[in-house]
Amino acid sequence: MDIGIDIGGTYTDGVVMQDNEVISYAKIPTGQDITVSIRQVLEQIVSGINKKKVDRLVLSTTLITNLLAQERKFPVGLILLPGPGVNPRTLRIKGKSIIIRGAIDYRGRIIETLDEQEVKKAVEQLLLEGIEYIGVACKFCQRNPLLEEEIVKIIKEDYPQIKCLASNQVHGLLNWVRRANGTVYQLMVATEYQFFIDQINKTLEQYDLTCPVFILKADGGTIPLGISAQHPLEGIFSGPTASMLGGLAAGGEDLTTVVMDIGGTTTDLGLILKGVPLQAAKGAIINTYPIPSRALAVSSLALGGDTSLNITNKKVCLGKRLGCAYCLGGPHLTITDALVYLGLSEIGDISLAKAKMESWAYQHDLVPQKLAEEALELFLDALEEKLENIFRQWEEEPAYRVWQLLSAKVDRPRTIVCIGGPAKDLGELWGEKKGWNVVIPQYASVANAIGTALAKTTLRLDFFADTQQKIYSTNIGGVHGRVTNISKLEGARDFSKHLFQEIRQKWNIIDEEVEIIYEEGFNIIRGWETAGKIFQIGLQTPPGLKGYMSKGGEI
Amino acid sequence: MNKTGLIFFPAFDWAISPTHPEREERLLYTRDQIFEEGILDNPRITEYKPRLADLEDIERVHFCVPDVVSQTTNAHLISVGSALKLGDALKNGEIKNGFAMVRPPGHHAMRVVHGNRGFCNINNEAILVEYLRSKYGIRRIAIVDTDVHHGDGTQDIFYHDPDILFISMHQDGRTIFPGTGFVDEAGGPGAYLKTINIPLPTGMTDDGFLKVWREIIKPALDIFQPELIINSAGQDNHFTDPLANMKVTANGYAKLTEELKPDLAVLEGGYAVETALPYVNLAILLALAGEDYSCVIEPQRHKADLRQARDVSLTIDKLIAYWQDRLNQATPDKESLFGKDRRYKRQRSIFYDTDHILEKQLETVEYCPDCLGLYQVSSSAPRELGKGYSIRGISIPLYACNSCQERAYEYWERIKVNNIRKVEYDVLYLQDKKNNRYLKESR
Ligand SMILES: [Zn+2]
Ligand SMILES: [Zn+2]
Repeated sequence: MDIGIDIGGTYTDGVVMQDNEVISYAKIPTGQDITVSIRQVLEQIVSGINKKKVDRLVLSTTLITNLLAQERKFPVGLILLPGPGVNPRTLRIKGKSIIIRGAIDYRGRIIETLDEQEVKKAVEQLLLEGIEYIGVACKFCQRNPLLEEEIVKIIKEDYPQIKCLASNQVHGLLNWVRRANGTVYQLMVATEYQFFIDQINKTLEQYDLTCPVFILKADGGTIPLGISAQHPLEGIFSGPTASMLGGLAAGGEDLTTVVMDIGGTTTDLGLILKGVPLQAAKGAIINTYPIPSRALAVSSLALGGDTSLNITNKKVCLGKRLGCAYCLGGPHLTITDALVYLGLSEIGDISLAKAKMESWAYQHDLVPQKLAEEALELFLDALEEKLENIFRQWEEEPAYRVWQLLSAKVDRPRTIVCIGGPAKDLGELWGEKKGWNVVIPQYASVANAIGTALAKTTLRLDFFADTQQKIYSTNIGGVHGRVTNISKLEGARDFSKHLFQEIRQKWNIIDEEVEIIYEEGFNIIRGWETAGKIFQIGLQTPPGLKGYMSKGGEI
Repeated sequence: MNKTGLIFFPAFDWAISPTHPEREERLLYTRDQIFEEGILDNPRITEYKPRLADLEDIERVHFCVPDVVSQTTNAHLISVGSALKLGDALKNGEIKNGFAMVRPPGHHAMRVVHGNRGFCNINNEAILVEYLRSKYGIRRIAIVDTDVHHGDGTQDIFYHDPDILFISMHQDGRTIFPGTGFVDEAGGPGAYLKTINIPLPTGMTDDGFLKVWREIIKPALDIFQPELIINSAGQDNHFTDPLANMKVTANGYAKLTEELKPDLAVLEGGYAVETALPYVNLAILLALAGEDYSCVIEPQRHKADLRQARDVSLTIDKLIAYWQDRLNQATPDKESLFGKDRRYKRQRSIFYDTDHILEKQLETVEYCPDCLGLYQVSSSAPRELGKGYSIRGISIPLYACNSCQERAYEYWERIKVNNIRKVEYDVLYLQDKKNNRYLKESR
């Protein structure tokens, strides 16, 4: 059995799944203290089940997103070692930063050494500004962490009161701006996140749940709760990720589809291609600051079921959310009321929607029927525009190799999986107008929890080795080092697979399969002689879900 | 639109041969630098996906022997297709300028293509120019070639076209491949001074580089008034380039880019894969995007002697004086340049360094008062190994007059009949740019 709990901003959903069937579920409003909400959901869903038979529990939580969104004044500073390149003063880097000497190049060679006095001066200056946490970010630190390590050592020895973190421990992605931001954000959330982990562990003990616990990652995989302490940012955007997986669980294994999750104020849209959710090409962005974590390519439309209807110049237009739908006792007519009025939805009290729609339309010399139709038209137009953007982004993803450009392209989907609020009704309207297949999952209201429960522990390793410089690096923070005895691609492949195996054991991944996503070798030629090789190998556990709802979960 | 379009296509799975300078490794460190900078997250830069060019786009420019497929790989089609895609983005108003950071390069590929010359098979910029002219009706385009080698292929293709201003600044042909690009190569009789060659002394620094730009190229552009500027952005003037002897820095290239303001830049040569390309490519991209490039300082710069010798400065000053004088002179009229037999003829040999081919060709251009006139070429290239070909081609200019166009089809019928009677050529070509129609007859 698998338990999935999705702690959203408004609701917390939980399910217990056995053989891809929901055996119990619950939905409660999310409270102030999310551990209390988890406890309440567990109370309802695990009461009748044998806890010894629970294989794992997966949590998807907005905790990290919330912590980051609060934008409280965190006393975090950065020491930056940019070396040659873009003027570091023009970069989108979070927090107070000080630029110092010391540089590494793309091969991991030190091209400028540190000045210890300058490091100390920088720390003193940050201390004067009341800073208690310091991140250190050096370009190409994943190819050679030495300068970052030296700085951390100086800080630890001379300023033990400061908590510091080097960017090479955060992520290995080739993008130092994202690594620098990731370092700042990780320092910001570390303490509270650790507190959360401790709380969760206590709670589960109370419920006799001894199974392994995982956190849903933004890329649709999971990470063991304990290990997530070192990578807390992986848990961002859990809500949209969970709903995409929920859509996938209902849609089935090989499906190519759009997933639409309509909430009160926003609509999340994502793509699933042959059973694999599409990843954002460059990574996640938090409050306009790019970070290194991978995330699903979910786009949001600023319209939802509670979007209010307005009239300007005798024409209907869409406004902000002013409350819930009129037919549910809200203050104003909404998209949901338009559906109800036209007999396209059974939400709420139709007589409320009817009376209000008519009086409002006549007041403006308009025909109520037309008014409601035009409002829905606006919503569908916005949806169409957004989908076009999403498709174009997907089709325009850069390619750096001939084979990638020549490989067969998946056709644009013409299926839509609809989750949440009036998604079913709007989805059916869309399907009817555009000739799309519409899939409505059976447990749409707890689809997020289902997606969470079925998420796999996935691992991706982007391995890079330079045999002349004798270094290797990866996309995973802290996983880099020296290589001495690799000369051929086979050797590099074995080395990377071994590395993958080590991490996999730590991560509790049971799946035996390893997929090679790509592998390539470059000759380093100096003066017509081969001076070494550079290898790039991508490994992953197969993406997708642990299981899919039987009969597609459709109704 | 305020965006700079970028297509980065390093062709990580394509090489001329494993140890050739044009190999997979060439843009690897450029990738590292550009990605590591985080510059692709900059809202002023939009990355596009490359695409393949159509065969027609290549036939519009080249007589590929015996056909396009034999002279190109998919990598070639993607490299030039990337330039075309940015051209479309520019004309659609999505971007204010664009940089095709692509390989393989193209500026040594001439009109007739028997093989690979100077690492090039097909000419990216020429194909871009003819694509833009035929699709968007642009007429006057300037190409500024800042590669250290003479852009002899581009020169060849537009040598008789007065609507294309081709300017190449390069290391003097007496000291470097391809050994051409002297001041007397100044365009055919119908396009006099629409080719400007600036052969530069070895040891030129940023100072000389920028002075030549400001005092020859800029005034020439001001006179020509192009609708569009394309930069063949070779990077081998760099002080660390292994194949050339100049002293230009990444900042020098960026400064020139900033002032030239090309609408589209296309990477050409540059073979200092570690010490130059990561920095020069980055600096040019920043300059195009209007970002600060002053911190792109190569680590080697501290050790290098980047002073310009006095005699180098003097030679450059003399060249500037020469060109300023020449640009201010009145252009002789076309009719008199064509001479009394009203026909331009040129016989020459062309060496293909990569493929070891020696091509012999004869070109003719007919005088026409109303258009560029018909261009014809016959060319043969025996090869040591494998089959050599002999070809004949006729080219109808994009803005040909009706009588030239009709005559071209008469010639076409005649040479086809003649070639049946007495086989002289393996392949015959009719390139009708005006109707976007490309005919070919193979034996
Ligand atoms: Zn060159
Ligand atoms: Zn004519």
